[in-house]
Amino acid sequence: MNEVATGPATAHGSTGARMRGRAWGPLRREWIKLLYQRRSYVIWGGAFVVPFLIALALYLAKGDPHGGEGPLFLQRVTSNGMYVALAALSALLPFLLPLAAAMVAGYMIAGEAELGTLRIVLLRPVRRGSFILAKWAMAMVYLAVGFALMLAGGLLFGAIFFGLHPMVTLSGSTVGIWHGLGLIILCCLYGLAAMSCIVSLALLFSTVTDSSLTALIATIVIYIVVQVLIVFSYFDWLRPWVFPSYFLGYTNFFRDPIYWTPILKGLASFGVWSFGFTFIAYLLFRRKDVLS
Amino acid sequence: MDGGTTHDVAEAHTLTEREGARPERQSCGGRAPILTTHALTKHFGGLRAVDGLDIEVCKGDIFGFLGPNGAGKTTVIRMVLGLIHPTSGHAEVCGHRVPGELQGALRHVGGFVDDPTFYPLMSARRNLRLLGSMTGPVSEERLDEVLDIVALRDRADDRVGGFSHGMKQRLGIAQALLHSPELIVLDEPTSGLDPRGMKDVRELIRELGAAGTTVFLSSHLLHEVEQVCTRAVILNRGKVVVQGPVSELRPQSDAVKVLTADQGKAGETLRTQFGAGSVLEDEGFLIVQAGEDAVPEMVRRLVADGVAVRAIVPAPEQGLEDFFLELTGTDDANRPAPAKRRAGLARLLPEGRR
Repeated sequence: MNEVATGPATAHGSTGARMRGRAWGPLRREWIKLLYQRRSYVIWGGAFVVPFLIALALYLAKGDPHGGEGPLFLQRVTSNGMYVALAALSALLPFLLPLAAAMVAGYMIAGEAELGTLRIVLLRPVRRGSFILAKWAMAMVYLAVGFALMLAGGLLFGAIFFGLHPMVTLSGSTVGIWHGLGLIILCCLYGLAAMSCIVSLALLFSTVTDSSLTALIATIVIYIVVQVLIVFSYFDWLRPWVFPSYFLGYTNFFRDPIYWTPILKGLASFGVWSFGFTFIAYLLFRRKDVLS
Repeated sequence: MDGGTTHDVAEAHTLTEREGARPERQSCGGRAPILTTHALTKHFGGLRAVDGLDIEVCKGDIFGFLGPNGAGKTTVIRMVLGLIHPTSGHAEVCGHRVPGELQGALRHVGGFVDDPTFYPLMSARRNLRLLGSMTGPVSEERLDEVLDIVALRDRADDRVGGFSHGMKQRLGIAQALLHSPELIVLDEPTSGLDPRGMKDVRELIRELGAAGTTVFLSSHLLHEVEQVCTRAVILNRGKVVVQGPVSELRPQSDAVKVLTADQGKAGETLRTQFGAGSVLEDEGFLIVQAGEDAVPEMVRRLVADGVAVRAIVPAPEQGLEDFFLELTGTDDANRPAPAKRRAGLARLLPEGRR
């Protein structure tokens, strides 16, 4: 993790090294900053531990005829460890993961403003555009690691408590372990794409406030308000236009054959919202007066 | 944005005309200017934080940027280094226009604004590495070098979170030095330091200047600027009050301190001789604004009035702090300046000011 190559570094490096540095430098720096924050590990820890708790709870309730009620996939979990990862996804996607996304992205600019480092970092010759894009990208990488930990935890504890077996799809067909694993990974990627909306929204708030907590809360409030609104049939017309409506779209990977239409609709919605929020964040940040 | 800007520019012009000419641009002589501002203006809502600022820093200067707290010093530095956008006007830094060619300018500048700040869980060395890599590659040897310069080598691998304010100030200077920039901008680098630390920092700034680096030193301490700077500008309420070589900033103060057995009576005598405005009381002494050639007559009159003279000494320092306070004073700005000072000011200030 030695970010500066030791040895005879010339004053400005070769052109090649500089080009490489230009692409990777900002990303690597944001990654290092993430690793040097304690809160980063709390969310990662949660993503890893929740599958364990799910597996444990289901294992202990195995003999109970009422056990197995709950989220979509939980009925099947008791017989097959493969479903633990999926159950963890369905448990974390509506709340812990959006929270993580809002936290990490909301901290990106506002947190540095709070800390005061924004004013020393921006005295370096970096473009604000690449600065904020690197931050967006690293927030996504951070969440990807969270998804990976959740998946790893789900498979590990699922295997320990129930063993891994071929999975039954929503269409009733059976797929092998590797095929099933591939489908679960696709679900996680879809979840990650969903989180990009939250990341972008939080980044947007992060550029307009100097308090990371404000950015986090504003993001979560908007997310929850939308979630509540689309529950009511009066707001049916709203549903196709807001991104949280598509959060559960990953279940369509478990149809045989995969039902792509809602998945692609969801991805398109995530892409548009995420790009829109990030673009506004970029415009605001470019003109932002750094007074912190 | 656009509509607002043109309006503000127009407003700035009329203002300038109304108040008369701006301070004349000082010439760098044969040296190249390295940092200039051109009618730099920043409004925060209705507040004119910086108002049509024209300053010029020449290559090789140790330039003092002097003003009381709240004068707009930090706002100017933030604008010059691109952290905030001017309402109107622009700066030129190392041959690059700001805003516009900010990256080009920042490549040649090191420094900090307000207190230097770092990532608390990282070590000093890692902080330097992270910040340095944003400008260009930094060798480990260079890291050791700058840490040596600010005497933090032995704490290099400790978390910055545990550092004292003074140590952070020094680390701030270290990160400014990393790429041996042409221009170093330090915002009150001695604030919060103990006397020893202040001395070290001033020594370091002098050394940098001697080595040919241009230093832009913001400070609210007049004597600090007098000690280390070659040229300076005094800023108040976002405007230049005085700009020029440091030796010309200080008023030509001809004053003597008088101590007698009866200060009250002596005061009366001296006021009739020199005018009421020329005699002040200060910590038991009478301060008389008069040249040394007036002393024999002063003594003769005092003795004739039966006042026993105990001491009359020159007071060249007298009035220096007062002078600064008067230039920058905010609460008593409407109080008429003493006659002598006003004469001093008239020499320094361009036509139409004050």
